[in-house]
Amino acid sequence: MVLIVNTTKDTSISEEIRRNISDKGIDAEIIEAGEMRISHCIGCNFCWLKTPGECSVKDDYEQILKRIIHANQMWVISDTALGFIDHKGKNIFDRILPIATMYLTFKGDQMRHVRRYKNTTDIGLIYKGDVEKDFLLRWNERAALNFHSKSLGVFSTDEIKEAASCMC
Amino acid sequence: MHVLIINGSPRVKKYSNTDKILAKFTEGLTEGGSTFEQYEVSDRGSWDSIRDAFGKNTNILIALPLYVECIPGLLMEFLETLTPKNKDTSIAYILQSGFAEGVQLRCGEAYLKILTEKLGCNYAGTLVKGDNFSIRFFNEDQRDKVTTPYMEMGRIFAKKGDFESEECKKFTGPEIFPLGVRIMVGLVFKTFAKKSFKRVAADWGCTKPLDYRPYK
Repeated sequence: MVLIVNTTKDTSISEEIRRNISDKGIDAEIIEAGEMRISHCIGCNFCWLKTPGECSVKDDYEQILKRIIHANQMWVISDTALGFIDHKGKNIFDRILPIATMYLTFKGDQMRHVRRYKNTTDIGLIYKGDVEKDFLLRWNERAALNFHSKSLGVFSTDEIKEAASCMC
Repeated sequence: MHVLIINGSPRVKKYSNTDKILAKFTEGLTEGGSTFEQYEVSDRGSWDSIRDAFGKNTNILIALPLYVECIPGLLMEFLETLTPKNKDTSIAYILQSGFAEGVQLRCGEAYLKILTEKLGCNYAGTLVKGDNFSIRFFNEDQRDKVTTPYMEMGRIFAKKGDFESEECKKFTGPEIFPLGVRIMVGLVFKTFAKKSFKRVAADWGCTKPLDYRPYK
């Protein structure tokens, strides 16, 4: 399943994606999160040490978390700020921590958290606005490492067709 | 020199590892003859005061934990509300993380340079150091062992006003652990560390295994 989380209020972006993948027979789920109540991660570590796998912040993020663990791809659509994705986009990544466990291992030559679920989710970004693209690409690749998955690339909203061609 | 210090951790001050690091860092900073004022981004009620202080001060230090390879969402939300300045202001950073190797923090460090540019300020370097996850769980003696080295960094910052010196760069420690160390630490992860995490979890009232799957 391809999960598309749109953190902007511009639903035309996800509609354009839907149009571009309509003839590909992809099992896609689009979550319009632009108006949802999604807090930042408060760093409490409860998802690792008190209520394993569950976030202590009870808000609309839980429905996203429940879908991520079934997705082979997650695409986050985000507005931008200060050369990066804005805080609403970043919160989607920060709050993903419950899919990792507290336990640690080495993957290659670096430490990683042991994953909680067997499924892995590759990650792509679609951004609306100005970013430092080289950095964003580097960041997305690093973020994917944390989820034992790989980066699907970063695309501006002018490159929806290119992004859609990577959805499968 | 007077330094505006912003603790960018989303964790409340009482449990903030970054705050414990800053406590030692500012001891050294004060010994070195500098003064400082400190604010916490976790306290939304103080955001107006932090914005005001950001406008008035020219030596700024932002201390933050690494969250998914970059800055925490809450700090991003705060920074989005700032008005960029002219080049008369310098920003330095203390970037800390749970993962121990220096390489884990380099992507976040790269963003801090971009961020400084976007805020119209001069980049005064980043003090990069991992292996800080356990500060919150340590007793005072154990905690001091981890945080005391930051005192010397505070003294250096008071003198130089940046983190560009060799001493600050060496503070990071190894970029990657050599294979032998990885094998040893990997064994610790499977044994001693696992037991320690389970003990902390039990103390916190956790009744499930730490690899429990709440969602089907």
